[in-house]
Amino acid sequence: MRGEASDEELMLRYGKGDVRAFEVLYRRHRLPLYRFLLRQAGDAAAAEELFQDTWMRVVNSRGRYEVRTKFTAWVYAIAHDRLMDFFRARASFPGREESESALEDLPAREIAAELRLDRKRAAERLLAALAALPDAQREAFLLQQEGELSIEEIAATTGASRETAKSRLRHAVAKLRAGLEKES
Amino acid sequence: MIEPRDEELSRIYRDAEGPQPPQRVDDNIIAASRRVAGAKPRSARAGFVRRWSAPVALAATVVVTSTLTLVEFDRQSDPDTTTSAASSDDRPSRSRSARQKATAPATPTPQARRDREEPRAGEGTASNERLATGQPAFAADVPRAPAGADQPAPSPDAQRAPEVLRQVPRAPATPLAADANTLRESALTLQRAGVMSAPAGRVAVSEARERTPEKWLEDIRKLKTQAKTAEAERELAEFRKRYPDYRLPEDLR
Repeated sequence: MRGEASDEELMLRYGKGDVRAFEVLYRRHRLPLYRFLLRQAGDAAAAEELFQDTWMRVVNSRGRYEVRTKFTAWVYAIAHDRLMDFFRARASFPGREESESALEDLPAREIAAELRLDRKRAAERLLAALAALPDAQREAFLLQQEGELSIEEIAATTGASRETAKSRLRHAVAKLRAGLEKES
Repeated sequence: MIEPRDEELSRIYRDAEGPQPPQRVDDNIIAASRRVAGAKPRSARAGFVRRWSAPVALAATVVVTSTLTLVEFDRQSDPDTTTSAASSDDRPSRSRSARQKATAPATPTPQARRDREEPRAGEGTASNERLATGQPAFAADVPRAPAGADQPAPSPDAQRAPEVLRQVPRAPATPLAADANTLRESALTLQRAGVMSAPAGRVAVSEARERTPEKWLEDIRKLKTQAKTAEAERELAEFRKRYPDYRLPEDLR
């Protein structure tokens, strides 16, 4: 819960015409959602379009919104759908998964060493590793980081099973760690 | 629930400088949110109008159509239009006169002027003569004669007669007075004979003044049909006095 009102309360208030509630909601989630879309689409122009389209769907759905799930899960599900459309149009969403056996947990000692690097450099490396991830794994990671969604919510948002969502997230984290180690 | 969340990785990720959406995108979205939220009441009104416009339009159409139909039916059921052409063109009907009273403006309308002035096909010479002398076609349109000692007071209806009726060319007072006297005499005769009471006699005078020639002739026919020959003859004589120029139908000559 952020601030005085929850996301869901704000959205319900907006559904009743409280424009101020939407502005609070928007400022609360604009950056995470934009980063999610930008890092998934890999294109600022496309990200802007997807971002605007996602929020417009939120706006237009204000009268139908019901608190069945967390607001962020709902918004990121909309963004996910828009991303899928975008990928289909671009025909660049193979959805490939790497086998579980290819992953190896990196020693915690090495990660700790990596984390001692300059934080800015580390962040840059992490972002580079993130960009190299398969789309589905990157999406799972971003949904967790930006949307603060749980495994179940990630699964629901992406239309995958819980195990698949969990597997994607594990692969993503492992590869990001590997990327940070490789750069070091 | 145990989730594979790496807090250190999350911290590094959050250290990354985050790109921001352009200000114009923010402005577009906020403006759209206000516009859509503000449009909600208008949408409700639009929905109301959309929901009721068709029934209201239909009801209005029905009302207008019914009114026009009734007006047309009333016009077609005018008794004058069902009588012979010659007699019907002698004078306008009572109902038409009543409509004229009710709707005539201060100055005569072209239609009113036509009704009074235009000779019609099949119109008899008597009516032509009346037109030539300015004599009104029938009792309801009779202009009031100058008030005299023996003249009945104008009825409230006559007092309320619109200006258009007062502007009808006035007939000479003498024939009108004679007509009125004839009617009164007829009623007085009936009163003396004990057939009618005085109030009834006044009613008879009033009815005689309002009765159209066709209606009068029709009543005479009924009397004949009922074998009331004497009464029919008396009525016919009064009719001839009242309408000396009227061309009687063959069966009543």
